[in-house]
Amino acid sequence: MKHLSEDEQMEMYYDEGSEAAKAHLKACRQCAAEYAKFKRSVDAIKAEEIPQRGPDYGDFVWQALRPQLIPYEKKTAGWQGLSWWKTATAAAACLALMTAAFIGGRFWEHRTSTGSDLAANVQPQQRVVVVVLTDHLDRTERLLVQLNHADSGDKVENAQLQTEARELLASNRLYRVSANKEGDPALAGALDRLERVLAEVANDPHLTAADLERVRKDMNTSGILFEVRVLLARKPNQESGPMSAKGVSI
Amino acid sequence: MQGNDHSVVRAVLAGDKEAYGTLVRAHSAAVFRVAFRIAGNEADAEEIVQETFLRAYQRLEKFEQRSTFGTWVYRIAVNCALNRVGQPGIEAEYTHGEESDLEMKTVQVATQDADPERVLLGREVSAAQETAMRRLTATEKCAFVLRHLEDRSMSEIAEVLGVAPNAAKQAVFRAVQKLRRELAPLRGNA
Repeated sequence: MKHLSEDEQMEMYYDEGSEAAKAHLKACRQCAAEYAKFKRSVDAIKAEEIPQRGPDYGDFVWQALRPQLIPYEKKTAGWQGLSWWKTATAAAACLALMTAAFIGGRFWEHRTSTGSDLAANVQPQQRVVVVVLTDHLDRTERLLVQLNHADSGDKVENAQLQTEARELLASNRLYRVSANKEGDPALAGALDRLERVLAEVANDPHLTAADLERVRKDMNTSGILFEVRVLLARKPNQESGPMSAKGVSI
Repeated sequence: MQGNDHSVVRAVLAGDKEAYGTLVRAHSAAVFRVAFRIAGNEADAEEIVQETFLRAYQRLEKFEQRSTFGTWVYRIAVNCALNRVGQPGIEAEYTHGEESDLEMKTVQVATQDADPERVLLGREVSAAQETAMRRLTATEKCAFVLRHLEDRSMSEIAEVLGVAPNAAKQAVFRAVQKLRRELAPLRGNA
Protein backbone atom coordinates (compact mmCIF):
# COMPACT_ATOMS: atom_id res chain seq x y z
CA MET A 1 0.00 0.00 0.00
CA LYS A 2 1.00 3.57 -0.58
CA HIS A 3 2.70 5.21 2.41
CA LEU A 4 1.10 8.10 4.28
CA SER A 5 1.54 11.55 2.83
CA GLU A 6 2.22 14.64 4.96
CA ASP A 7 -1.45 15.65 4.68
CA GLU A 8 -2.52 12.21 5.90
CA GLN A 9 -0.06 12.47 8.78
CA MET A 10 -1.59 15.83 9.67
CA GLU A 11 -5.05 14.31 9.55
CA MET A 12 -3.87 11.56 11.89
CA TYR A 13 -2.31 14.13 14.20
CA TYR A 14 -5.54 16.12 14.48
CA ASP A 15 -7.68 12.95 14.88
CA GLU A 16 -9.19 13.25 11.43
CA GLY A 17 -7.42 10.33 9.79
CA SER A 18 -9.31 7.67 7.87
CA GLU A 19 -9.65 4.10 9.13
CA ALA A 20 -7.48 2.88 6.26
CA ALA A 21 -4.73 5.34 7.24
CA LYS A 22 -4.91 4.23 10.86
CA ALA A 23 -4.69 0.57 9.86
CA HIS A 24 -1.74 1.28 7.58
CA LEU A 25 0.06 3.16 10.33
CA LYS A 26 -0.22 0.14 12.59
CA ALA A 27 1.02 -2.20 9.90
CA CYS A 28 3.78 -0.13 8.29
CA ARG A 29 6.95 0.44 10.35
CA GLN A 30 8.27 3.02 7.93
CA CYS A 31 5.13 5.12 8.14
CA ALA A 32 5.03 4.72 11.93
CA ALA A 33 8.56 6.04 12.16
CA GLU A 34 7.80 8.92 9.83
CA TYR A 35 4.67 9.76 11.76
CA ALA A 36 6.56 9.70 15.08
CA LYS A 37 9.03 12.15 13.62
CA PHE A 38 6.20 14.30 12.30
CA LYS A 39 4.46 14.24 15.66
CA ARG A 40 7.58 15.33 17.51
CA SER A 41 8.04 18.26 15.18
CA VAL A 42 4.50 19.46 15.54
CA ASP A 43 4.42 18.84 19.27
CA ALA A 44 7.45 21.09 19.49
CA ILE A 45 5.35 23.99 18.30
CA LYS A 46 4.14 25.02 21.66
CA ALA A 47 1.99 27.84 22.74
CA GLU A 48 3.71 30.99 23.72
CA GLU A 49 3.54 31.68 27.38
CA ILE A 50 0.59 33.89 27.98
CA PRO A 51 1.49 36.97 30.04
CA GLN A 52 -0.24 36.70 33.36
CA ARG A 53 -3.10 39.00 34.12
CA GLY A 54 -4.12 39.73 37.69
CA PRO A 55 -7.52 38.98 39.17
CA ASP A 56 -8.50 42.61 38.71
CA TYR A 57 -7.79 42.49 34.99
CA GLY A 58 -11.55 42.34 34.25
CA ASP A 59 -12.09 45.49 36.29
CA PHE A 60 -9.24 47.17 34.46
CA VAL A 61 -10.82 46.34 31.08
CA TRP A 62 -14.24 47.46 32.28
CA GLN A 63 -13.02 50.78 33.64
CA ALA A 64 -11.31 51.52 30.34
CA LEU A 65 -14.34 50.50 28.33
CA ARG A 66 -17.10 51.99 30.47
CA PRO A 67 -16.87 55.66 29.33
CA GLN A 68 -17.20 54.59 25.69
CA LEU A 69 -20.53 52.84 26.18
CA ILE A 70 -23.85 54.53 25.62
CA PRO A 71 -26.70 52.94 27.59
CA TYR A 72 -29.36 51.17 25.57
CA GLU A 73 -32.71 52.87 25.64
CA LYS A 74 -35.37 50.90 27.39
CA LYS A 75 -37.47 49.32 24.68
CA THR A 76 -41.12 50.17 24.52
CA ALA A 77 -43.25 47.09 24.49
CA GLY A 78 -44.14 46.07 20.98
CA TRP A 79 -46.12 43.10 19.79
CA GLN A 80 -43.33 40.78 20.89
CA GLY A 81 -43.30 42.33 24.35
CA LEU A 82 -46.95 41.59 24.95
CA SER A 83 -47.87 38.51 26.92
CA TRP A 84 -50.11 35.97 25.20
CA TRP A 85 -53.23 36.95 27.13
CA LYS A 86 -52.76 40.62 26.29
CA THR A 87 -52.39 39.72 22.65
CA ALA A 88 -55.47 37.51 22.85
CA THR A 89 -57.47 40.31 24.51
CA ALA A 90 -56.44 42.78 21.85
CA ALA A 91 -57.38 40.29 19.12
CA ALA A 92 -60.78 39.65 20.75
CA ALA A 93 -61.43 43.40 21.01
CA CYS A 94 -60.58 43.85 17.33
CA LEU A 95 -62.90 40.97 16.43
CA ALA A 96 -65.74 42.45 18.51
CA LEU A 97 -65.24 45.85 16.91
CA MET A 98 -65.31 44.35 13.43
CA THR A 99 -68.48 42.39 14.25
CA ALA A 100 -70.20 45.48 15.65
CA ALA A 101 -69.19 47.46 12.57
CA PHE A 102 -70.55 44.72 10.30
CA ILE A 103 -73.90 44.45 12.12
CA GLY A 104 -74.20 48.22 12.40
CA GLY A 105 -73.49 48.55 8.71
CA ARG A 106 -76.14 45.99 7.82
CA PHE A 107 -78.71 47.70 10.12
CA TRP A 108 -77.91 51.14 8.72
CA GLU A 109 -78.20 49.82 5.19
CA HIS A 110 -81.60 48.31 6.01
CA ARG A 111 -82.87 51.57 7.51
CA THR A 112 -81.62 53.62 4.61
CA SER A 113 -83.19 51.32 2.10
CA THR A 114 -86.53 51.46 4.02
CA GLY A 115 -86.46 55.27 3.92
CA SER A 116 -85.69 55.17 0.23
CA ASP A 117 -88.61 52.81 -0.31
CA LEU A 118 -90.96 55.23 1.46
CA ALA A 119 -89.68 58.11 -0.64
CA ALA A 120 -90.05 55.98 -3.72
CA ASN A 121 -93.68 55.22 -2.75
CA VAL A 122 -94.46 58.91 -2.24
CA GLN A 123 -93.12 60.01 -5.60
CA PRO A 124 -95.66 58.11 -7.77
CA GLN A 125 -98.45 59.48 -5.59
CA GLN A 126 -97.25 63.03 -6.15
CA ARG A 127 -96.91 62.26 -9.84
CA VAL A 128 -100.61 61.21 -9.95
CA VAL A 129 -101.68 64.37 -8.10
CA VAL A 130 -99.75 66.57 -10.54
CA VAL A 131 -101.30 64.78 -13.52
CA VAL A 132 -104.80 65.17 -12.08
CA LEU A 133 -104.24 68.84 -11.24
CA THR A 134 -102.77 69.48 -14.67
CA ASP A 135 -105.84 67.90 -16.20
CA HIS A 136 -108.08 70.14 -14.06
CA LEU A 137 -106.15 73.26 -15.06
CA ASP A 138 -106.31 72.22 -18.73
CA ARG A 139 -110.06 71.88 -18.58
CA THR A 140 -110.33 75.21 -16.75
CA GLU A 141 -108.22 76.94 -19.38
CA ARG A 142 -110.35 75.55 -22.14
CA LEU A 143 -113.46 76.81 -20.31
CA LEU A 144 -112.00 80.25 -19.85
CA VAL A 145 -111.00 80.39 -23.51
CA GLN A 146 -114.49 79.34 -24.50
CA LEU A 147 -115.94 82.04 -22.22
CA ASN A 148 -113.62 84.57 -23.80
CA HIS A 149 -114.87 83.72 -27.24
CA ALA A 150 -118.39 82.65 -26.41
CA ASP A 151 -121.41 84.01 -28.26
CA SER A 152 -123.53 85.53 -25.55
CA GLY A 153 -126.69 84.86 -27.58
CA ASP A 154 -126.14 81.13 -27.92
CA LYS A 155 -128.10 79.62 -25.02
CA VAL A 156 -127.06 76.03 -25.73
CA GLU A 157 -123.43 76.93 -25.62
CA ASN A 158 -123.99 78.91 -22.43
CA ALA A 159 -125.67 75.92 -20.78
CA GLN A 160 -122.75 73.67 -21.70
CA LEU A 161 -120.35 76.21 -20.25
CA GLN A 162 -122.32 76.33 -17.00
CA THR A 163 -122.36 72.52 -16.69
CA GLU A 164 -118.61 72.38 -17.26
CA ALA A 165 -118.13 75.24 -14.77
CA ARG A 166 -120.08 73.36 -12.06
CA GLU A 167 -117.97 70.23 -12.44
CA LEU A 168 -114.79 72.23 -12.38
CA LEU A 169 -116.00 74.24 -9.39
CA ALA A 170 -116.41 71.10 -7.26
CA SER A 171 -112.99 69.72 -8.08
CA ASN A 172 -111.37 73.18 -7.86
CA ARG A 173 -112.67 73.53 -4.28
CA LEU A 174 -110.97 70.26 -3.30
CA TYR A 175 -107.70 71.31 -4.90
CA ARG A 176 -107.78 74.70 -3.20
CA VAL A 177 -108.36 73.16 0.25
CA SER A 178 -105.56 70.67 -0.35
CA ALA A 179 -103.21 73.42 -1.57
CA ASN A 180 -103.88 75.36 1.62
CA LYS A 181 -103.14 72.26 3.72
CA GLU A 182 -99.91 71.58 1.82
CA GLY A 183 -98.79 75.16 2.36
CA ASP A 184 -98.71 76.24 -1.31
CA PRO A 185 -100.15 79.80 -1.13
CA ALA A 186 -99.50 80.63 -4.80
CA LEU A 187 -101.52 77.67 -6.02
CA ALA A 188 -104.17 78.13 -3.33
CA GLY A 189 -104.59 81.85 -4.24
CA ALA A 190 -104.85 81.11 -7.95
CA LEU A 191 -107.37 78.34 -7.34
CA ASP A 192 -109.34 80.69 -5.06
CA ARG A 193 -109.67 83.37 -7.73
CA LEU A 194 -110.46 80.72 -10.31
CA GLU A 195 -113.13 79.34 -8.00
CA ARG A 196 -114.92 82.70 -7.81
CA VAL A 197 -115.12 82.91 -11.61
CA LEU A 198 -116.25 79.31 -11.91
CA ALA A 199 -118.84 79.90 -9.17
CA GLU A 200 -120.19 82.96 -10.94
CA VAL A 201 -120.52 81.12 -14.23
CA ALA A 202 -121.90 77.94 -12.66
CA ASN A 203 -124.41 79.51 -10.30
CA ASP A 204 -125.93 82.21 -12.47
CA PRO A 205 -129.34 80.80 -13.58
CA HIS A 206 -129.74 83.27 -16.36
CA LEU A 207 -126.38 83.76 -17.89
CA THR A 208 -126.89 86.77 -20.12
CA ALA A 209 -124.56 88.29 -22.63
CA ALA A 210 -123.86 91.11 -20.17
CA ASP A 211 -122.91 88.60 -17.49
CA LEU A 212 -120.48 86.85 -19.80
CA GLU A 213 -118.95 90.17 -20.78
CA ARG A 214 -118.44 91.07 -17.11
CA VAL A 215 -116.83 87.69 -16.35
CA ARG A 216 -114.53 88.14 -19.36
CA LYS A 217 -113.47 91.58 -18.06
CA ASP A 218 -112.85 90.18 -14.56
CA MET A 219 -110.79 87.35 -15.96
CA ASN A 220 -108.64 89.68 -18.03
CA THR A 221 -108.29 92.24 -15.25
CA SER A 222 -107.20 89.81 -12.60
CA GLY A 223 -105.13 87.83 -15.05
CA ILE A 224 -106.72 84.53 -14.06
CA LEU A 225 -106.20 83.03 -17.47
CA PHE A 226 -102.49 83.97 -17.38
CA GLU A 227 -102.17 82.58 -13.90
CA VAL A 228 -103.69 79.27 -14.95
CA ARG A 229 -101.27 79.07 -17.85
CA VAL A 230 -98.31 79.72 -15.51
CA LEU A 231 -99.54 77.05 -13.15
CA LEU A 232 -99.89 74.66 -16.02
CA ALA A 233 -96.33 75.39 -17.08
CA ARG A 234 -95.02 75.05 -13.49
CA LYS A 235 -96.62 71.80 -12.45
CA PRO A 236 -94.76 69.38 -14.73
CA ASN A 237 -91.39 70.96 -13.72
CA GLN A 238 -92.09 70.50 -10.03
CA GLU A 239 -92.04 66.77 -10.51
CA SER A 240 -88.26 66.56 -10.62
CA GLY A 241 -87.29 69.81 -8.89
CA PRO A 242 -86.98 70.81 -5.27
CA MET A 243 -90.60 71.91 -5.26
CA SER A 244 -91.74 68.39 -6.00
CA ALA A 245 -92.64 67.89 -2.37
CA LYS A 246 -95.14 70.69 -2.71
CA GLY A 247 -98.50 70.40 -4.41
CA VAL A 248 -101.84 69.11 -3.39
CA SER A 249 -102.91 65.72 -2.25
CA ILE A 250 -106.39 64.51 -2.82
CA MET B 1 -23.33 30.79 34.00
CA GLN B 2 -24.96 30.66 30.58
CA GLY B 3 -28.41 31.48 31.95
CA ASN B 4 -26.89 34.15 34.14
CA ASP B 5 -25.12 35.69 31.14
CA HIS B 6 -28.40 35.76 29.25
CA SER B 7 -30.18 37.59 32.06
CA VAL B 8 -27.30 40.07 32.24
CA VAL B 9 -27.56 40.66 28.49
CA ARG B 10 -31.29 41.34 28.88
CA ALA B 11 -30.55 43.80 31.68
CA VAL B 12 -27.99 45.62 29.54
CA LEU B 13 -30.44 45.83 26.64
CA ALA B 14 -33.03 47.20 29.05
CA GLY B 15 -30.74 50.14 29.77
CA ASP B 16 -28.54 48.87 32.62
CA LYS B 17 -25.09 49.71 31.24
CA GLU B 18 -23.33 48.77 34.47
CA ALA B 19 -24.50 45.17 34.12
CA TYR B 20 -22.19 44.81 31.13
CA GLY B 21 -19.28 45.08 33.55
CA THR B 22 -20.19 41.61 34.86
CA LEU B 23 -19.74 40.10 31.40
CA VAL B 24 -16.49 41.95 30.80
CA ARG B 25 -15.01 40.77 34.10
CA ALA B 26 -16.07 37.18 33.47
CA HIS B 27 -14.69 36.84 29.93
CA SER B 28 -11.73 39.24 29.76
CA ALA B 29 -9.08 36.61 30.52
CA ALA B 30 -10.28 34.20 27.81
CA VAL B 31 -10.49 36.99 25.27
CA PHE B 32 -7.01 38.21 26.18
CA ARG B 33 -5.57 34.69 25.82
CA VAL B 34 -6.81 34.14 22.26
CA ALA B 35 -6.02 37.73 21.32
CA PHE B 36 -2.44 37.35 22.51
CA ARG B 37 -1.95 34.05 20.71
CA ILE B 38 -3.10 35.49 17.43
CA ALA B 39 -1.58 38.95 17.75
CA GLY B 40 1.61 37.74 19.36
CA ASN B 41 2.19 40.72 21.66
CA GLU B 42 0.62 42.23 24.73
CA ALA B 43 -0.04 45.69 23.39
CA ASP B 44 -2.07 44.46 20.43
CA ALA B 45 -3.79 41.88 22.60
CA GLU B 46 -4.90 44.62 25.03
CA GLU B 47 -6.32 46.68 22.20
CA ILE B 48 -8.06 43.62 20.75
CA VAL B 49 -9.72 42.97 24.13
CA GLN B 50 -11.03 46.53 24.28
CA GLU B 51 -12.24 46.44 20.69
CA THR B 52 -13.87 43.06 21.21
CA PHE B 53 -15.97 44.12 24.18
CA LEU B 54 -16.85 47.42 22.53
CA ARG B 55 -18.04 45.62 19.37
CA ALA B 56 -19.91 43.07 21.43
CA TYR B 57 -21.72 45.85 23.30
CA GLN B 58 -22.67 47.59 20.07
CA ARG B 59 -23.99 44.35 18.57
CA LEU B 60 -25.59 43.04 21.73
CA GLU B 61 -29.07 43.21 20.17
CA LYS B 62 -27.91 40.66 17.59
CA PHE B 63 -26.72 38.22 20.24
CA GLU B 64 -28.78 35.07 19.86
CA GLN B 65 -29.87 33.66 23.15
CA ARG B 66 -29.34 30.07 21.98
CA SER B 67 -25.53 30.45 22.04
CA THR B 68 -23.40 31.30 25.06
CA PHE B 69 -22.07 34.79 25.49
CA GLY B 70 -18.57 33.34 25.97
CA THR B 71 -18.62 31.61 22.57
CA TRP B 72 -20.10 34.65 20.89
CA VAL B 73 -17.55 37.09 22.30
CA TYR B 74 -14.75 34.60 21.55
CA ARG B 75 -15.67 34.70 17.85
CA ILE B 76 -15.73 38.47 17.90
CA ALA B 77 -12.28 38.46 19.52
CA VAL B 78 -10.86 36.14 16.83
CA ASN B 79 -12.27 38.40 14.11
CA CYS B 80 -10.85 41.50 15.76
CA ALA B 81 -7.47 39.79 16.09
CA LEU B 82 -7.60 38.54 12.52
CA ASN B 83 -8.36 42.06 11.27
CA ARG B 84 -5.54 43.48 13.32
CA VAL B 85 -2.97 40.88 12.28
CA GLY B 86 -4.13 41.17 8.67
CA GLN B 87 -3.54 44.91 8.54
CA PRO B 88 -0.89 45.78 5.91
CA GLY B 89 1.20 47.80 8.35
CA ILE B 90 1.48 44.96 10.80
CA GLU B 91 2.25 42.38 8.08
CA ALA B 92 4.97 44.66 6.71
CA GLU B 93 6.40 45.06 10.17
CA TYR B 94 6.55 41.28 10.60
CA THR B 95 8.17 40.78 7.19
CA HIS B 96 10.67 43.54 7.81
CA GLY B 97 12.10 41.90 10.92
CA GLU B 98 12.08 38.27 9.83
CA GLU B 99 15.22 38.03 7.65
CA SER B 100 17.73 39.25 10.25
CA ASP B 101 16.05 37.12 12.94
CA LEU B 102 16.39 33.99 10.79
CA GLU B 103 20.07 34.54 10.12
CA MET B 104 20.78 35.23 13.76
CA LYS B 105 18.88 32.07 14.76
CA THR B 106 20.93 29.84 12.43
CA VAL B 107 24.26 31.12 13.68
CA GLN B 108 23.39 31.03 17.34
CA VAL B 109 21.88 27.53 17.34
CA ALA B 110 24.98 26.09 15.70
CA THR B 111 27.21 27.24 18.54
CA GLN B 112 25.13 26.00 21.53
CA ASP B 113 26.69 23.09 23.50
CA ALA B 114 27.07 23.82 27.22
CA ASP B 115 24.14 23.22 29.62
CA PRO B 116 23.94 26.82 30.91
CA GLU B 117 23.51 27.85 27.36
CA ARG B 118 20.63 25.45 26.73
CA VAL B 119 18.38 27.92 28.48
CA LEU B 120 19.43 30.46 25.99
CA LEU B 121 18.89 27.89 23.25
CA GLY B 122 15.34 27.38 24.42
CA ARG B 123 14.76 31.11 24.18
CA GLU B 124 16.17 31.13 20.71
CA VAL B 125 13.89 28.30 19.68
CA SER B 126 10.92 30.26 20.99
CA ALA B 127 12.08 33.31 19.09
CA ALA B 128 12.45 31.23 15.93
CA GLN B 129 8.98 29.84 16.38
CA GLU B 130 7.63 33.31 16.92
CA THR B 131 9.32 34.47 13.76
CA ALA B 132 7.98 31.48 11.85
CA MET B 133 4.52 32.21 13.12
CA ARG B 134 4.80 35.76 11.88
CA ARG B 135 5.59 34.49 8.39
CA LEU B 136 2.19 32.88 8.18
CA THR B 137 -0.66 34.73 6.59
CA ALA B 138 -3.29 36.09 8.97
CA THR B 139 -5.74 33.33 8.05
CA GLU B 140 -3.15 30.57 8.38
CA LYS B 141 -1.97 31.86 11.72
CA CYS B 142 -5.49 32.26 13.03
CA ALA B 143 -6.52 28.80 11.82
CA PHE B 144 -3.40 27.21 13.30
CA VAL B 145 -3.80 28.95 16.67
CA LEU B 146 -7.42 27.91 16.92
CA ARG B 147 -6.70 24.28 15.97
CA HIS B 148 -3.34 23.65 17.51
CA LEU B 149 -3.33 25.88 20.57
CA GLU B 150 -7.01 26.51 21.32
CA ASP B 151 -8.08 22.97 20.34
CA ARG B 152 -11.08 24.15 18.31
CA SER B 153 -12.67 21.86 15.76
CA MET B 154 -12.34 22.46 12.02
CA SER B 155 -16.05 23.35 11.75
CA GLU B 156 -15.70 25.98 14.50
CA ILE B 157 -12.66 27.44 12.79
CA ALA B 158 -14.49 27.53 9.48
CA GLU B 159 -17.41 29.35 11.09
CA VAL B 160 -15.20 31.91 12.81
CA LEU B 161 -13.18 32.58 9.67
CA GLY B 162 -16.25 32.55 7.45
CA VAL B 163 -14.85 29.92 5.09
CA ALA B 164 -15.74 26.35 4.10
CA PRO B 165 -14.54 23.59 6.48
CA ASN B 166 -12.18 22.22 3.85
CA ALA B 167 -10.66 25.67 3.35
CA ALA B 168 -10.13 25.97 7.11
CA LYS B 169 -8.46 22.54 7.12
CA GLN B 170 -6.17 23.52 4.26
CA ALA B 171 -5.24 26.74 6.08
CA VAL B 172 -4.23 24.71 9.14
CA PHE B 173 -2.25 22.26 7.00
CA ARG B 174 -0.40 25.01 5.15
CA ALA B 175 0.48 26.63 8.46
CA VAL B 176 1.85 23.33 9.83
CA GLN B 177 3.89 22.73 6.69
CA LYS B 178 5.40 26.19 6.80
CA LEU B 179 6.22 25.99 10.50
CA ARG B 180 7.85 22.58 10.18
CA ARG B 181 9.95 23.83 7.31
CA GLU B 182 10.96 26.96 9.18
CA LEU B 183 11.85 25.10 12.33
CA ALA B 184 13.56 22.11 10.67
CA PRO B 185 17.12 23.49 11.15
CA LEU B 186 16.51 23.64 14.91
CA ARG B 187 15.12 20.15 15.35
CA GLY B 188 18.40 18.32 15.01
CA ASN B 189 20.15 20.58 17.50
CA ALA B 190 17.61 21.40 20.10
